[in-house]
Amino acid sequence: MSEPLLSVSDLETQFHTDAGTVFAVDGVSFDVDHGETVAIVGESGSGKTVTSESITSILDTPPGEIVGGTITFDGMDLTTLSETALQDVRGKRISHIFQNPQNGLNPVYTVGRQIGEAIRIHDHGDPEVPVQRQVVDLLDKTGIPEASARVDDYPHEFSGGMKQRVLIAMALACDPDLLIADEPTTALDVTIQGQILRLLEDLQAEHDMGIIFVTHDLGVVSEIADRVVVMYAGKVMETGTVEDIFRNPSHPYTRALMDCLPGRGGSMDRIEGSLPDVTDPPAGCRFSPRCEHATEACRSGDQPPLWGVDNGDTHEASCVYYDAEHDEGELAGGEGATGGHQ
Amino acid sequence: MSKQIVNTESNAAESLMRVDGLKKHYPITEGVLRTEVGRVRAVDGVSFEVRAGETLGIVGESGCGKSTVAESVLRLTDPTAGSVYFDGEDVTAYDDTALKRFRREAQMIFQNPDSSFDPRMTTGESVAEPLKIHGVGPRSRRLEIARDLLERVGMSGEDAARYPHELSGGQKQRVALARALVVNPRLIVADEPVSALDVSVQAEVLTLLNDIQAEFNLGVLFISHDMGVVREVCDRVAVMYLGEIVEMGRTEDVFNDPEHPYTRALLRSIPTVGVESRGTDAGLRGEVPPPSDPPTGCNFHTRCPEVIQPDGYDFEQAHWRGVMNLRVAVERHGVDVAGLRAFVGVEDDASVSPADADAMKAELRREHDIPETLTDPSAEATLEAALDDIVRGDVEDGRAVLAEEFETVCEGESPPLDEDGTGRPTACHRDGAAAPGGDD
Amino acid sequence: MAAEDADTATFEDIDWDAQGISTLGVSRAGLAELLSYLGLIAAFVYDYTWNTGPLVFRWDVLSVEWLFIGTLIAIVFHAVIPLSQKPRLRAFYWQRFKKNQVAVVALGWLAVMFVVGVLGPLLIDPPTTQFTNQSVPPVGMSTTVGGVVKTGTWQYPLGTSAKGQGILTLVVYGMRVSMEVGLIATIFSVIIGSAVGAVAAFATSVGRGRIDELLMRYVDVQSVFPDFMLLLLLTYLFGSELWMIILLFGFFSWEGIARTVRGEALQRASEEYITAAEASGANMLYIVRQHLIPNSANSIIISATVGIPGFILGEASLAFLGFSDPTTYSWGRTIATGQVNLASAWWIATIPGVFLFLTVLSFYYVGESLRDAMDPRQEVDGGGGL
Repeated sequence: MSEPLLSVSDLETQFHTDAGTVFAVDGVSFDVDHGETVAIVGESGSGKTVTSESITSILDTPPGEIVGGTITFDGMDLTTLSETALQDVRGKRISHIFQNPQNGLNPVYTVGRQIGEAIRIHDHGDPEVPVQRQVVDLLDKTGIPEASARVDDYPHEFSGGMKQRVLIAMALACDPDLLIADEPTTALDVTIQGQILRLLEDLQAEHDMGIIFVTHDLGVVSEIADRVVVMYAGKVMETGTVEDIFRNPSHPYTRALMDCLPGRGGSMDRIEGSLPDVTDPPAGCRFSPRCEHATEACRSGDQPPLWGVDNGDTHEASCVYYDAEHDEGELAGGEGATGGHQ
Repeated sequence: MSKQIVNTESNAAESLMRVDGLKKHYPITEGVLRTEVGRVRAVDGVSFEVRAGETLGIVGESGCGKSTVAESVLRLTDPTAGSVYFDGEDVTAYDDTALKRFRREAQMIFQNPDSSFDPRMTTGESVAEPLKIHGVGPRSRRLEIARDLLERVGMSGEDAARYPHELSGGQKQRVALARALVVNPRLIVADEPVSALDVSVQAEVLTLLNDIQAEFNLGVLFISHDMGVVREVCDRVAVMYLGEIVEMGRTEDVFNDPEHPYTRALLRSIPTVGVESRGTDAGLRGEVPPPSDPPTGCNFHTRCPEVIQPDGYDFEQAHWRGVMNLRVAVERHGVDVAGLRAFVGVEDDASVSPADADAMKAELRREHDIPETLTDPSAEATLEAALDDIVRGDVEDGRAVLAEEFETVCEGESPPLDEDGTGRPTACHRDGAAAPGGDD
Repeated sequence: MAAEDADTATFEDIDWDAQGISTLGVSRAGLAELLSYLGLIAAFVYDYTWNTGPLVFRWDVLSVEWLFIGTLIAIVFHAVIPLSQKPRLRAFYWQRFKKNQVAVVALGWLAVMFVVGVLGPLLIDPPTTQFTNQSVPPVGMSTTVGGVVKTGTWQYPLGTSAKGQGILTLVVYGMRVSMEVGLIATIFSVIIGSAVGAVAAFATSVGRGRIDELLMRYVDVQSVFPDFMLLLLLTYLFGSELWMIILLFGFFSWEGIARTVRGEALQRASEEYITAAEASGANMLYIVRQHLIPNSANSIIISATVGIPGFILGEASLAFLGFSDPTTYSWGRTIATGQVNLASAWWIATIPGVFLFLTVLSFYYVGESLRDAMDPRQEVDGGGGL
């Protein structure tokens, strides 16, 4: 098997605050391949956004600091690159789109000019074709109707969904190998969300991009992801293909998360307790204080390693119940979520 | 099924709040003299009622006017037209004293837990504030009541001394509920109360809301964009689109057998958890038109996948939608012929060669999801004629041809919110008729 | 549904019909404040109509001092009492304020200036002209002035002026003047600025945008008006009594506070807790008093603190230019009189100059640190952003 496009290994990112050190990302590993969508899913405070921002070091330092691990992208370790080299990677190889499309556009320039700028800066595209033409093509590609009439419009003349399309067009201007999308549809209406997800899928197929899709919404994950990383309090709880996660959710946290989704028609469970203190995480499994299956073994030592589930090589859960020496039947047979909700 | 309506009418005595023909328009003004040049029709004639012990959900996308409904029924904003009856009295006619009494009996919970508390007040003070406003005293008694209530919504009495920034989002929404309850209201308007919360926290806040509603027999008006949440807590649901209610009924009925094409599309748009249904297309193109310039006829006809076909033609429904896309574009904002010419590389003044014209027509069809040829030959001939007009630059001629030949009832008449078909109030010309092509 | 529970009060027990609808209640602190002002006014009237001798013991209260006492009452009721009632809030602000150690030192300096400035003139006799002790240098130094060798003594630790006035006494009396100028002018600009800003914002929120327009355009005009020229003209025409200079400062420098309050109030007015209070039946007056003003207070305090050194410097400049009340011992005037002797008696102008410099600098540092500690935008820091 060839090298993956991006390989994050044992990433540790901390924030140094007045209240103490926040262990925002604490030993996270995953790979992303060309043409593959990896969803990082978790609730607020899980460290999913910090993980995505650590990749190209766009997090605020200080207070943030990447203290350990490697991020290998195309043979380079991004954690050791200089700021100049990183800027090059950010502009030309890895693009970001964010939750709030308002913040990504400069209100005083036309969208055409801003996309044109992106093309010129990354000096990408065919020098034979006028930039204006390339801009219209990009807008057209992202599904903006009457693209040629709208290049001269200002950002405020676009709706939220259209702005997100413009930002996707800007992200595509450098033809990136990897697109990091942080909750790109959360601020949008559900009917528009579907359109954007489909657009991302189409563009991914066309450009053979890897996509890291950060979201809190399991529904969106099941729509777009190839592989899923479930995070909780800075740790990976479970990882697997989208089929693994949704047909056979294995970590008690993943199951609990699925059981508390509203509107499945059945009863809505809740996760007792609250998120752990990020400056002083609990011993053992981070989820153990809220886990109904937790035993003494769960509450001491470190977070359990990612054990293989059902002998599959794609599906792993960080839970003692999947330790080869542990009797697996106890948890798997318990009540809880089953695959294929609704 | 019309019996049900009669029943509803005779139950009017039990209804806690009845909203009748509510409209809220915001004028768009221009110049120093502030002359009105247009109106944003945020809410354009909605009627519903909330009974004691019942949760009515109002669901819709952003900009559909659901939050304006919430503000209007509490008279936080004065409606342009229509009436709001609380206990049979018209709230819009209340004087200051009566309004103050009404605002004790109807309370509100807000979306954003971060901004719904004064950062300088402890939670105890915030919960006790409505008591202070209504002249309950002294301070020690108010705080005692607040502490008692905080315990009843699952907080501890000590939390009364904490400041909002020391609480989590879910805790803040519990406190918000306590603040709403403290004046012993009969109606609670909850505007997206869980949208800002994590899913694992949503469940506990919704459960609490349900429990409290049962305990105090409250009427709840629940505003949300989230169909899942609405399904979880609402007894009845009203679906809003562009300032109007398009469908209203019991929650199970609306979810299991949605009658309005918009409701159907909305339900299809929710990403379902599970990989089986992956890739289903909601079939909804384009965006919500601006409420300052709503479409004629049925508001939804510019996006409706089930828009009714004109008499005398036989389209595939998807193709007809494509033709409607073109029509909507021509009617509402015109076609950018210059852009099309640039696309095929024709100079500004040069005449269009037949080959270029074909390329431009093909591009127009592609953009609006119209196939290369329509199955109905007479429809194809009409469309081709109109496209010829458009690529020649005679957009107006093309528009006229399309408008005359492909006229649909959906753009001509506004459908009434009546009970044809399933017996549920639905505003659609298809009421009672089956959806074309089955369920999708 | 009235649940009977003898021990704890619950909301079900409230008899709503028995509750008054009016909200025009005045709190106890508000009443005490009002009484204090009334007492002050009564004393003022008494002093100016019947009383001929000194009012209290040997202290004959001057016009500026009446204003100063009023200012102190306002500070006690709006800063000291609220802070003493909220230990947690006080601890929170102190925690953040003390991060800036220079500002802590500056605050200490200002505290000394304030206490000495307020109490000193009550205990020390005013400086007197003594031609026997002209231009004595500070203690431990000797110098030759006009051919006479003079050595500093402990009688005048900081030396004397050309008129034989003790520099220390002049400095202490100057502290009083600086505190009076800084605080009174600030209180006036805060009162006017807050009122104009709040009315402008309120007018906009009730759809009377034109009042807002009018007020804010006036603010624009005043902010570009050359008020220093006007000051010079007025003091030239009507004499340069300290109270007049202070009031002129106050009346011509509230634009910034008006803009701040307006912006702050407009922004706060859209917060959900304001709507929540409104939806609970609160009227506009209640919302302005309970939510808008307390939450704009931080911005007001910050811009007020930043404004104080400007007033002190302004008064010193006027005094230096000769526009000053001959009966007040302003630092500016001492510096002005001392500058002619700068070559022979450097201490006369320099020592008050150092005090002026340190005081102004301290106000800047304290203002900066207050901004860091109280900036509402940084207030919510629940560890978000993860």
